[in-house]
Amino acid sequence: MEQETAPQLSDTGLRQRALDAIAAVLPRVLAREGLVIAPEMKLMSDLGMRSASMLELLLELEDHLDIEIDVEDIDAAAMTSVGDLADYVAGHAITNA
Amino acid sequence: MTTLKAVACYLPDKRMPVEDVAGQLELTAMQVRLFRRYLGMSEIRLDLGGTPLDLLSAATARLGALRGLEHLVRYVLYARALPVVVPYPVNPVRDLCRSFGLDHAVSFTVSHQACASGLLAVDIAGRLLAEDGDPDALALVVTGEKAFTRDAQLVPGMSIFGEAAAACLVGSDGPADRVISYAVNVRGEFDGRLDEAPEMASRFEKEYPTSMAEAMTTAADQAGVSLGELSLILPHNVNALFWQRLCRRIGFPVGRVLLDNVPVAGHAFCADPFINYVTAMERGLLRSGDRYLIAAAGVGATFAAMVVEH
Repeated sequence: MEQETAPQLSDTGLRQRALDAIAAVLPRVLAREGLVIAPEMKLMSDLGMRSASMLELLLELEDHLDIEIDVEDIDAAAMTSVGDLADYVAGHAITNA
Repeated sequence: MTTLKAVACYLPDKRMPVEDVAGQLELTAMQVRLFRRYLGMSEIRLDLGGTPLDLLSAATARLGALRGLEHLVRYVLYARALPVVVPYPVNPVRDLCRSFGLDHAVSFTVSHQACASGLLAVDIAGRLLAEDGDPDALALVVTGEKAFTRDAQLVPGMSIFGEAAAACLVGSDGPADRVISYAVNVRGEFDGRLDEAPEMASRFEKEYPTSMAEAMTTAADQAGVSLGELSLILPHNVNALFWQRLCRRIGFPVGRVLLDNVPVAGHAFCADPFINYVTAMERGLLRSGDRYLIAAAGVGATFAAMVVEH
Protein backbone atom coordinates (compact mmCIF):
# COMPACT_ATOMS: atom_id res chain seq x y z
CA MET A 1 0.00 0.00 0.00
CA GLU A 2 1.31 3.47 -0.87
CA GLN A 3 2.01 5.54 2.20
CA GLU A 4 0.98 9.17 2.05
CA THR A 5 3.89 11.51 2.48
CA ALA A 6 3.16 14.15 5.06
CA PRO A 7 4.14 17.67 4.15
CA GLN A 8 7.30 18.62 6.00
CA LEU A 9 8.81 21.89 7.00
CA SER A 10 12.52 22.53 6.82
CA ASP A 11 13.79 26.01 7.48
CA THR A 12 16.45 27.75 9.41
CA GLY A 13 13.85 29.60 11.47
CA LEU A 14 12.46 26.33 12.73
CA ARG A 15 15.99 25.07 13.41
CA GLN A 16 16.67 28.08 15.65
CA ARG A 17 13.32 27.62 17.39
CA ALA A 18 14.21 23.96 17.90
CA LEU A 19 17.57 24.92 19.40
CA ASP A 20 15.87 27.37 21.76
CA ALA A 21 13.28 24.74 22.70
CA ILE A 22 15.96 22.11 23.35
CA ALA A 23 17.79 24.55 25.61
CA ALA A 24 14.55 25.19 27.47
CA VAL A 25 13.29 21.63 27.96
CA LEU A 26 16.40 19.43 27.96
CA PRO A 27 17.58 20.35 31.49
CA ARG A 28 14.17 19.26 32.79
CA VAL A 29 14.19 16.01 30.76
CA LEU A 30 17.64 15.24 32.17
CA ALA A 31 16.61 16.38 35.66
CA ARG A 32 19.61 18.74 35.61
CA GLU A 33 18.05 22.15 36.14
CA GLY A 34 20.41 25.04 35.42
CA LEU A 35 22.33 23.13 32.76
CA VAL A 36 23.35 25.43 29.91
CA ILE A 37 22.85 23.73 26.55
CA ALA A 38 25.12 24.49 23.59
CA PRO A 39 24.62 23.23 19.98
CA GLU A 40 27.96 21.39 19.96
CA MET A 41 27.18 19.34 23.09
CA LYS A 42 27.18 15.59 22.42
CA LEU A 43 23.82 14.03 23.26
CA MET A 44 25.16 10.66 24.38
CA SER A 45 28.69 11.25 25.64
CA ASP A 46 28.19 14.74 27.16
CA LEU A 47 24.56 14.52 28.24
CA GLY A 48 24.12 10.77 28.80
CA MET A 49 21.08 10.46 26.55
CA ARG A 50 19.80 7.23 25.04
CA SER A 51 17.21 6.48 22.37
CA ALA A 52 14.35 6.45 24.84
CA SER A 53 15.27 9.78 26.43
CA MET A 54 15.79 11.20 22.94
CA LEU A 55 12.26 10.17 22.00
CA GLU A 56 10.93 11.68 25.22
CA LEU A 57 12.73 14.90 24.37
CA LEU A 58 11.13 14.89 20.90
CA LEU A 59 7.69 14.58 22.51
CA GLU A 60 8.51 17.56 24.73
CA LEU A 61 9.65 19.49 21.67
CA GLU A 62 6.41 18.66 19.86
CA ASP A 63 4.50 20.25 22.71
CA HIS A 64 6.83 23.21 23.00
CA LEU A 65 6.89 23.97 19.27
CA ASP A 66 3.31 22.85 18.57
CA ILE A 67 4.40 20.52 15.77
CA GLU A 68 4.53 16.79 15.13
CA ILE A 69 7.86 15.12 14.38
CA ASP A 70 8.26 12.06 12.15
CA VAL A 71 10.57 9.68 14.02
CA GLU A 72 10.57 6.72 11.62
CA ASP A 73 13.99 7.41 10.17
CA ILE A 74 15.61 8.76 13.30
CA ASP A 75 19.09 7.33 13.78
CA ALA A 76 20.21 8.01 17.32
CA ALA A 77 23.74 6.84 16.56
CA ALA A 78 24.17 9.31 13.70
CA MET A 79 22.57 12.19 15.56
CA THR A 80 25.43 13.06 17.84
CA SER A 81 25.02 16.69 18.92
CA VAL A 82 22.32 19.07 20.07
CA GLY A 83 22.74 20.83 16.71
CA ASP A 84 22.13 17.55 14.87
CA LEU A 85 18.94 17.09 16.86
CA ALA A 86 17.77 20.58 15.91
CA ASP A 87 18.51 19.77 12.26
CA TYR A 88 16.45 16.61 12.58
CA VAL A 89 13.50 18.44 14.11
CA ALA A 90 13.62 21.12 11.40
CA GLY A 91 13.74 18.46 8.70
CA HIS A 92 11.06 16.18 10.08
CA ALA A 93 8.37 18.52 11.37
CA ILE A 94 5.03 17.46 9.96
CA THR A 95 2.34 20.01 9.26
CA ASN A 96 -1.22 19.03 9.94
CA ALA A 97 -2.35 20.56 6.64
CA MET B 1 12.72 -31.32 7.42
CA THR B 2 11.08 -29.56 10.34
CA THR B 3 7.45 -28.69 9.66
CA LEU B 4 4.92 -26.50 11.44
CA LYS B 5 1.74 -28.55 11.25
CA ALA B 6 -0.61 -26.28 13.16
CA VAL B 7 -0.44 -23.21 15.33
CA ALA B 8 -3.00 -21.88 17.83
CA CYS B 9 -2.93 -18.96 20.19
CA TYR B 10 -4.78 -17.50 23.11
CA LEU B 11 -5.17 -13.81 23.86
CA PRO B 12 -6.89 -13.12 27.20
CA ASP B 13 -10.01 -10.95 26.98
CA LYS B 14 -8.80 -8.40 29.51
CA ARG B 15 -7.41 -5.39 27.68
CA MET B 16 -5.28 -3.01 29.73
CA PRO B 17 -4.55 0.41 28.23
CA VAL B 18 -0.98 1.55 28.77
CA GLU B 19 -2.31 4.33 31.02
CA ASP B 20 -3.78 1.71 33.36
CA VAL B 21 -0.45 -0.06 33.92
CA ALA B 22 1.56 3.16 34.11
CA GLY B 23 1.28 3.35 37.90
CA GLN B 24 2.61 -0.10 38.66
CA LEU B 25 5.33 0.28 36.01
CA GLU B 26 6.29 3.73 37.37
CA LEU B 27 5.87 5.36 33.94
CA THR B 28 5.61 9.12 33.67
CA ALA B 29 2.87 10.67 31.54
CA MET B 30 5.49 11.43 28.90
CA GLN B 31 6.69 7.82 28.87
CA VAL B 32 3.10 6.66 28.38
CA ARG B 33 2.83 9.03 25.42
CA LEU B 34 6.11 7.67 24.09
CA PHE B 35 4.73 4.13 24.09
CA ARG B 36 1.51 5.17 22.40
CA ARG B 37 2.70 7.75 19.91
CA TYR B 38 6.17 6.56 18.89
CA LEU B 39 6.41 2.89 19.85
CA GLY B 40 2.89 2.00 18.74
CA MET B 41 1.81 0.27 21.96
CA SER B 42 -1.65 1.19 23.19
CA GLU B 43 -2.70 -1.74 25.32
CA ILE B 44 -1.67 -5.18 26.53
CA ARG B 45 -3.66 -8.29 27.45
CA LEU B 46 -3.65 -9.73 30.95
CA ASP B 47 -5.06 -13.00 32.23
CA LEU B 48 -5.91 -11.58 35.65
CA GLY B 49 -5.88 -14.28 38.30
CA GLY B 50 -4.74 -16.89 35.80
CA THR B 51 -1.70 -19.12 36.13
CA PRO B 52 0.96 -20.09 33.58
CA LEU B 53 -0.88 -23.42 33.24
CA ASP B 54 -4.12 -21.57 32.43
CA LEU B 55 -2.36 -19.74 29.62
CA LEU B 56 -0.74 -22.87 28.18
CA SER B 57 -3.96 -24.86 28.49
CA ALA B 58 -6.02 -22.19 26.72
CA ALA B 59 -3.65 -22.20 23.73
CA THR B 60 -3.35 -25.99 23.60
CA ALA B 61 -7.14 -26.41 23.79
CA ARG B 62 -7.39 -24.28 20.62
CA LEU B 63 -4.98 -26.56 18.75
CA GLY B 64 -7.61 -28.70 17.01
CA ALA B 65 -4.98 -30.54 14.96
CA LEU B 66 -3.70 -32.19 18.14
CA ARG B 67 -6.96 -34.11 18.74
CA GLY B 68 -6.54 -37.79 18.07
CA LEU B 69 -2.80 -37.46 17.53
CA GLU B 70 -1.77 -37.23 21.17
CA HIS B 71 -0.17 -40.68 21.07
CA LEU B 72 2.22 -39.49 18.34
CA VAL B 73 3.57 -36.61 20.43
CA ARG B 74 7.04 -37.58 21.64
CA TYR B 75 8.17 -34.25 23.04
CA VAL B 76 6.57 -31.26 24.71
CA LEU B 77 8.75 -28.16 24.87
CA TYR B 78 7.87 -25.14 26.97
CA ALA B 79 9.59 -22.12 25.43
CA ARG B 80 9.76 -19.13 27.69
CA ALA B 81 11.73 -15.96 28.26
CA LEU B 82 12.04 -16.07 32.03
CA PRO B 83 14.04 -18.84 33.74
CA VAL B 84 11.81 -18.99 36.82
CA VAL B 85 8.04 -18.56 36.55
CA VAL B 86 6.51 -20.76 39.27
CA PRO B 87 7.55 -21.86 42.75
CA TYR B 88 8.86 -25.39 43.25
CA PRO B 89 7.33 -27.99 42.96
CA VAL B 90 4.71 -26.52 40.60
CA ASN B 91 5.40 -27.78 37.08
CA PRO B 92 2.99 -26.35 34.53
CA VAL B 93 4.38 -28.29 31.57
CA ARG B 94 3.88 -31.67 33.31
CA ASP B 95 0.41 -30.58 34.42
CA LEU B 96 -0.32 -29.62 30.82
CA CYS B 97 0.83 -33.05 29.61
CA ARG B 98 -1.45 -34.78 32.11
CA SER B 99 -4.43 -32.62 31.11
CA PHE B 100 -4.08 -33.21 27.39
CA GLY B 101 -3.23 -36.92 27.23
CA LEU B 102 0.47 -36.28 26.70
CA ASP B 103 1.78 -37.80 29.90
CA HIS B 104 3.91 -40.24 27.91
CA ALA B 105 5.85 -37.44 26.20
CA VAL B 106 9.29 -36.25 27.24
CA SER B 107 8.85 -32.67 28.37
CA PHE B 108 11.28 -29.89 29.13
CA THR B 109 11.68 -26.13 29.16
CA VAL B 110 13.78 -24.00 26.82
CA SER B 111 14.55 -20.55 28.22
CA HIS B 112 18.10 -19.38 27.76
CA GLN B 113 17.48 -17.29 24.66
CA ALA B 114 14.80 -15.19 26.37
CA CYS B 115 12.12 -14.10 23.90
CA ALA B 116 13.95 -15.85 21.05
CA SER B 117 13.51 -19.21 22.83
CA GLY B 118 10.34 -19.99 20.86
CA LEU B 119 12.26 -20.34 17.61
CA LEU B 120 14.98 -22.31 19.39
CA ALA B 121 12.30 -24.70 20.71
CA VAL B 122 10.94 -25.26 17.20
CA ASP B 123 14.47 -25.99 15.97
CA ILE B 124 15.17 -28.39 18.85
CA ALA B 125 11.84 -30.13 18.31
CA GLY B 126 12.64 -30.61 14.64
CA ARG B 127 16.08 -32.02 15.37
CA LEU B 128 14.73 -34.43 17.99
CA LEU B 129 12.09 -35.66 15.57
CA ALA B 130 14.67 -36.09 12.82
CA GLU B 131 16.72 -38.30 15.17
CA ASP B 132 13.60 -40.18 16.21
CA GLY B 133 13.19 -41.65 12.73
CA ASP B 134 9.40 -42.06 12.82
CA PRO B 135 7.94 -39.74 10.14
CA ASP B 136 4.65 -39.59 12.02
CA ALA B 137 6.19 -38.51 15.32
CA LEU B 138 5.25 -35.06 16.59
CA ALA B 139 6.39 -32.48 19.09
CA LEU B 140 4.36 -29.80 20.81
CA VAL B 141 5.93 -26.41 21.46
CA VAL B 142 4.00 -24.25 23.91
CA THR B 143 4.71 -20.76 25.13
CA GLY B 144 2.99 -18.32 27.44
CA GLU B 145 4.08 -16.38 30.50
CA LYS B 146 2.78 -14.17 33.25
CA ALA B 147 3.92 -10.55 33.24
CA PHE B 148 4.20 -10.84 37.00
CA THR B 149 6.78 -8.29 38.08
CA ARG B 150 7.86 -4.86 36.84
CA ASP B 151 11.04 -6.41 35.46
CA ALA B 152 8.95 -8.99 33.59
CA GLN B 153 6.60 -6.36 32.22
CA LEU B 154 8.82 -3.53 31.09
CA VAL B 155 11.94 -2.79 29.11
CA PRO B 156 12.08 0.97 29.69
CA GLY B 157 11.67 3.01 26.54
CA MET B 158 11.43 -0.11 24.42
CA SER B 159 8.59 -2.50 25.24
CA ILE B 160 5.72 -3.45 27.53
CA PHE B 161 4.98 -7.13 28.01
CA GLY B 162 1.51 -8.64 28.10
CA GLU B 163 0.15 -12.10 28.67
CA ALA B 164 -0.79 -14.47 25.86
CA ALA B 165 0.04 -18.02 24.83
CA ALA B 166 0.62 -20.17 21.78
CA ALA B 167 0.84 -23.85 20.90
CA CYS B 168 2.60 -25.17 17.81
CA LEU B 169 2.50 -28.74 16.56
CA VAL B 170 5.85 -29.62 15.00
CA GLY B 171 6.47 -32.56 12.68
CA SER B 172 9.18 -33.82 10.39
CA ASP B 173 7.22 -34.78 7.31
CA GLY B 174 3.98 -34.38 5.41
CA PRO B 175 2.00 -31.37 4.22
CA ALA B 176 2.71 -28.39 6.43
CA ASP B 177 4.77 -25.23 6.60
CA ARG B 178 8.37 -26.32 5.99
CA VAL B 179 11.21 -24.71 7.96
CA ILE B 180 13.92 -24.03 5.40
CA SER B 181 16.48 -22.27 7.53
CA TYR B 182 17.16 -21.08 11.05
CA ALA B 183 19.85 -18.58 11.99
CA VAL B 184 20.75 -17.41 15.44
CA ASN B 185 23.07 -14.60 16.40
CA VAL B 186 24.02 -14.89 20.08
CA ARG B 187 25.57 -11.77 21.61
CA GLY B 188 26.49 -12.90 25.10
CA GLU B 189 28.33 -9.69 25.84
CA PHE B 190 24.93 -8.09 26.42
CA ASP B 191 24.04 -10.39 29.32
CA GLY B 192 23.13 -8.39 32.41
CA ARG B 193 20.71 -5.80 33.69
CA LEU B 194 20.43 -3.03 31.12
CA ASP B 195 19.07 -0.56 33.67
CA GLU B 196 22.16 -1.00 35.85
CA ALA B 197 24.76 -0.86 33.08
CA PRO B 198 24.13 2.27 30.99
CA GLU B 199 27.20 1.81 28.81
CA MET B 200 26.17 -1.74 27.91
CA ALA B 201 22.59 -0.57 27.38
CA SER B 202 23.81 2.09 25.01
CA ARG B 203 25.85 -0.42 22.98
CA PHE B 204 22.95 -2.88 23.01
CA GLU B 205 20.61 -0.21 21.71
CA LYS B 206 23.04 0.65 18.93
CA GLU B 207 23.72 -2.94 17.88
CA TYR B 208 20.20 -4.33 18.29
CA PRO B 209 19.01 -3.48 14.75
CA THR B 210 22.29 -4.55 13.16
CA SER B 211 22.27 -7.88 14.98
CA MET B 212 18.64 -8.52 14.10
CA ALA B 213 19.30 -7.69 10.45
CA GLU B 214 22.31 -10.05 10.43
CA ALA B 215 20.24 -12.97 11.70
CA MET B 216 17.52 -12.24 9.13
CA THR B 217 20.00 -11.95 6.27
CA THR B 218 21.77 -15.15 7.31
CA ALA B 219 18.49 -17.06 7.48
CA ALA B 220 17.48 -15.73 4.06
CA ASP B 221 20.88 -16.60 2.57
CA GLN B 222 20.68 -20.13 3.97
CA ALA B 223 17.20 -20.47 2.48
CA GLY B 224 18.44 -19.26 -0.90
CA VAL B 225 16.15 -16.24 -1.03
CA SER B 226 16.70 -12.52 -0.83
CA LEU B 227 14.89 -10.55 1.87
CA GLY B 228 12.89 -8.87 -0.89
CA GLU B 229 11.51 -12.24 -2.02
CA LEU B 230 9.91 -12.89 1.35
CA SER B 231 6.14 -12.56 1.33
CA LEU B 232 5.86 -11.60 4.95
CA ILE B 233 7.83 -11.10 8.15
CA LEU B 234 6.24 -12.33 11.36
CA PRO B 235 8.10 -10.36 14.02
CA HIS B 236 8.41 -10.29 17.75
CA ASN B 237 6.30 -7.39 18.99
CA VAL B 238 9.08 -5.42 20.68
CA ASN B 239 7.50 -2.21 19.32
CA ALA B 240 6.40 -0.82 15.97
CA LEU B 241 9.07 1.86 15.64
CA PHE B 242 11.91 -0.67 15.81
CA TRP B 243 10.50 -2.54 12.82
CA GLN B 244 9.72 0.62 10.87
CA ARG B 245 13.30 1.79 11.29
CA LEU B 246 14.80 -1.61 10.58
CA CYS B 247 12.76 -1.88 7.39
CA ARG B 248 14.09 1.46 6.20
CA ARG B 249 17.60 0.29 6.97
CA ILE B 250 17.34 -3.01 5.06
CA GLY B 251 15.03 -1.74 2.32
CA PHE B 252 12.15 -4.04 3.15
CA PRO B 253 8.57 -2.74 2.82
CA VAL B 254 7.19 -2.28 6.33
CA GLY B 255 3.73 -3.12 4.98
CA ARG B 256 4.93 -6.74 4.71
CA VAL B 257 5.80 -6.91 8.41
CA LEU B 258 2.78 -7.98 10.43
CA LEU B 259 2.66 -5.33 13.14
CA ASP B 260 -1.10 -5.31 13.73
CA ASN B 261 -0.84 -7.03 17.10
CA VAL B 262 1.70 -4.61 18.58
CA PRO B 263 -0.87 -1.96 19.56
CA VAL B 264 -3.44 -4.43 20.92
CA ALA B 265 -1.35 -7.16 22.55
CA GLY B 266 2.04 -5.66 23.38
CA HIS B 267 5.03 -7.96 23.58
CA ALA B 268 3.93 -11.42 24.77
CA PHE B 269 7.38 -12.90 25.46
CA CYS B 270 8.02 -15.89 23.13
CA ALA B 271 4.44 -16.06 21.86
CA ASP B 272 4.50 -13.08 19.46
CA PRO B 273 5.62 -14.79 16.23
CA PHE B 274 3.11 -17.60 16.71
CA ILE B 275 0.28 -15.14 17.45
CA ASN B 276 1.28 -13.23 14.34
CA TYR B 277 1.24 -16.46 12.33
CA VAL B 278 -2.34 -17.12 13.42
CA THR B 279 -3.30 -13.57 12.41
CA ALA B 280 -1.62 -14.05 9.03
CA MET B 281 -3.58 -17.25 8.47
CA GLU B 282 -6.88 -15.71 9.56
CA ARG B 283 -6.35 -12.87 7.09
CA GLY B 284 -5.23 -15.10 4.23
CA LEU B 285 -1.88 -13.35 3.96
CA LEU B 286 0.03 -16.51 3.01
CA ARG B 287 -0.45 -18.54 -0.16
CA SER B 288 0.88 -21.97 -0.91
CA GLY B 289 4.58 -21.75 -1.75
CA ASP B 290 5.08 -18.35 -0.12
CA ARG B 291 8.26 -17.99 1.85
CA TYR B 292 8.09 -15.93 5.01
CA LEU B 293 10.46 -15.10 7.82
CA ILE B 294 9.85 -15.39 11.54
CA ALA B 295 12.02 -13.11 13.66
CA ALA B 296 12.59 -12.79 17.38
CA ALA B 297 15.09 -11.21 19.73
CA GLY B 298 15.76 -11.88 23.38
CA VAL B 299 17.62 -9.86 25.96
CA GLY B 300 20.91 -11.35 26.96
CA ALA B 301 21.10 -11.16 23.87
CA THR B 302 19.91 -13.46 21.08
CA PHE B 303 18.68 -12.57 17.61
CA ALA B 304 16.97 -15.37 15.70
CA ALA B 305 15.31 -15.77 12.32
CA MET B 306 13.64 -18.66 10.55
CA VAL B 307 12.59 -18.86 6.91
CA VAL B 308 9.53 -21.02 6.35
CA GLU B 309 7.70 -22.10 3.21
CA HIS B 310 3.93 -22.12 3.44
